[in-house]
Amino acid sequence: MVGQVVISGLLAGALYSLVALGLALIFGVMRVINIAHGTILMLGAYTTFWWFHLLGVNPYLSLLASMPLMFLLGLLLQRTLVTRVVDAPELSSLLLTFGISIALVNIAQLAFTSDLRSVEFLTGAFLVGPIALSKSRLISFAFAVTITLLAFWFIQKTKLGKAIRATSQNSEVAMICGINVPRIRLYAFGIASALAGAGGSLVAVMFAIQPEMGQVYTFKSFLVIVLGGAGNYPGALLGGMLLGLVEQLSSLFLTTQLSEAVAYVLLVLVLLVRPSGLLGGRER
Amino acid sequence: MTFVSLSRTKKTLLAGLVIGLILLAIYPMAATGYGIRFMLQLFMWVALAQSWNLISGLTGYVSFGHVAFFGTGAYAAAILIATHGWHWAPASSMGGIAAVVLALIIGYPCLRLKGPYFAIAMLGLNEVMRVLVSYFEGLTGGGLGLSLPTLYASVQIYYAAGLAAIAASVAAHLIITSRFGLRLMTIREDEVAAEAMGVNTARYKLYAFLISAFIPGVVGGLHARDQGYIEPISVFPLLTTITMIVMALFGGKGTVWGPVLGAVGLFCFQELVWARFLYLHQILFGAIIVFVVLLMPRGILGLVQQRYHLSRSL
Repeated sequence: MVGQVVISGLLAGALYSLVALGLALIFGVMRVINIAHGTILMLGAYTTFWWFHLLGVNPYLSLLASMPLMFLLGLLLQRTLVTRVVDAPELSSLLLTFGISIALVNIAQLAFTSDLRSVEFLTGAFLVGPIALSKSRLISFAFAVTITLLAFWFIQKTKLGKAIRATSQNSEVAMICGINVPRIRLYAFGIASALAGAGGSLVAVMFAIQPEMGQVYTFKSFLVIVLGGAGNYPGALLGGMLLGLVEQLSSLFLTTQLSEAVAYVLLVLVLLVRPSGLLGGRER
Repeated sequence: MTFVSLSRTKKTLLAGLVIGLILLAIYPMAATGYGIRFMLQLFMWVALAQSWNLISGLTGYVSFGHVAFFGTGAYAAAILIATHGWHWAPASSMGGIAAVVLALIIGYPCLRLKGPYFAIAMLGLNEVMRVLVSYFEGLTGGGLGLSLPTLYASVQIYYAAGLAAIAASVAAHLIITSRFGLRLMTIREDEVAAEAMGVNTARYKLYAFLISAFIPGVVGGLHARDQGYIEPISVFPLLTTITMIVMALFGGKGTVWGPVLGAVGLFCFQELVWARFLYLHQILFGAIIVFVVLLMPRGILGLVQQRYHLSRSL
């Protein structure tokens, strides 16, 4: 039983890591808490739904559509709106991204209705000994891990990734070193949105979707980046896995409903005891 | 700044205020049922926007889950009314006290968090309160909600809500013109400097937080009595927090009259214009938030203040 729970925790956790890495990028580079992150995930999920519904092609291939589309949406949002509040107090960016979120959610409701939709592609499960592994979750897990690792490799190894890390460590010094900080912010928001879009595509294959689904993921991503340390990218990976495990274990030992409360207590504890996150070093 | 030259203007304003209050006091005699309900909700919004202003407008700590206190007060009062047969007036006051207790438990650790972290913690608090209320079904009716016995008391609740709005605004006036208010604003401008000057920041932040939590608790109780039915989704929506914030911001945060102006303006606009469009009004609301944040972050009073020298107590 515990083995099954640990496995499902890790399966869920990989998705959290993927989505939260995007939020961590935005927070790291701009110190902006993007409330619209889950909304972008929702739009990614609808991209997959319509891809499967209209074209009838393997929904995992829709990642090729949802990631670039959300990347462009991210660029657009950053270029037109978010860039204006980057240096303002946090209230401005919180409200602004909430405004974007509520507008997009309601546009989605107008366009797609509030009905629950689902992509019925892979059903059934693999049985490994006593443990049942849902096919769609396992394949989504593989995709989530691959995309997360690719994104992570990109941040660690490429020149643009290094510029992103430099900007999140200290944007003023980065600017002095010749990094075009506004452009880095633009790319960071785009990449983050692409990651959320990918997360949405994977969610759409596993669960039913509707326009208001995003808020849960926004909140869980907050939990993850706090657990891992805000702006700490390896921390986001660890935090996602940890959140998946904590949720599943607490729903085993307590109830499913209370698992969210447990996650919150964990959040406050981490904020108080280690404000820089589990992997964090000095407090900034 | 002295206001010797302004004393006549001040007298006129004061007279206008008194006449306005008298008109509001006799309004229920002439009003339709809809009119009373409209004003009653407007009063609640004034009180809510004012309460958010007390903690976030003054100290700069963004309470992004302020509706948690509203919902807690609503549930505390509803439980007292429905299962213990209390009158709604003392029950609503107990709602306020319940909210203060919650604020004490949460504020003590969380007010040490800085900037965005406090906002995230408060946002989380709201989510958790909703989950907990749904979980303890025996007490709260869970997801099915809680129905209160039928009672026609719109006029009494009108006066109670009006009183809450006035009390919140008077509290804001008293605080903003006091040394306590100055200390809070020092924290907003520079917390380290405030501490260096000998302001016990932890204590004053907590005081402001407790006062600020009491008001939505009472209003939540009144809301529960007014609606006659509450459920977790209806009293813990993030949207309510945002609406409070946008009202305070629209009028001018950190001022006494800003939240009042913002609540009146936004609520009237909402009722008169948006209510006609079911989906479109939320999209419009999103657009208004973006507009206010980008173009008038200091609010109406802030814009006026740029032209004329106004007292802080306005």
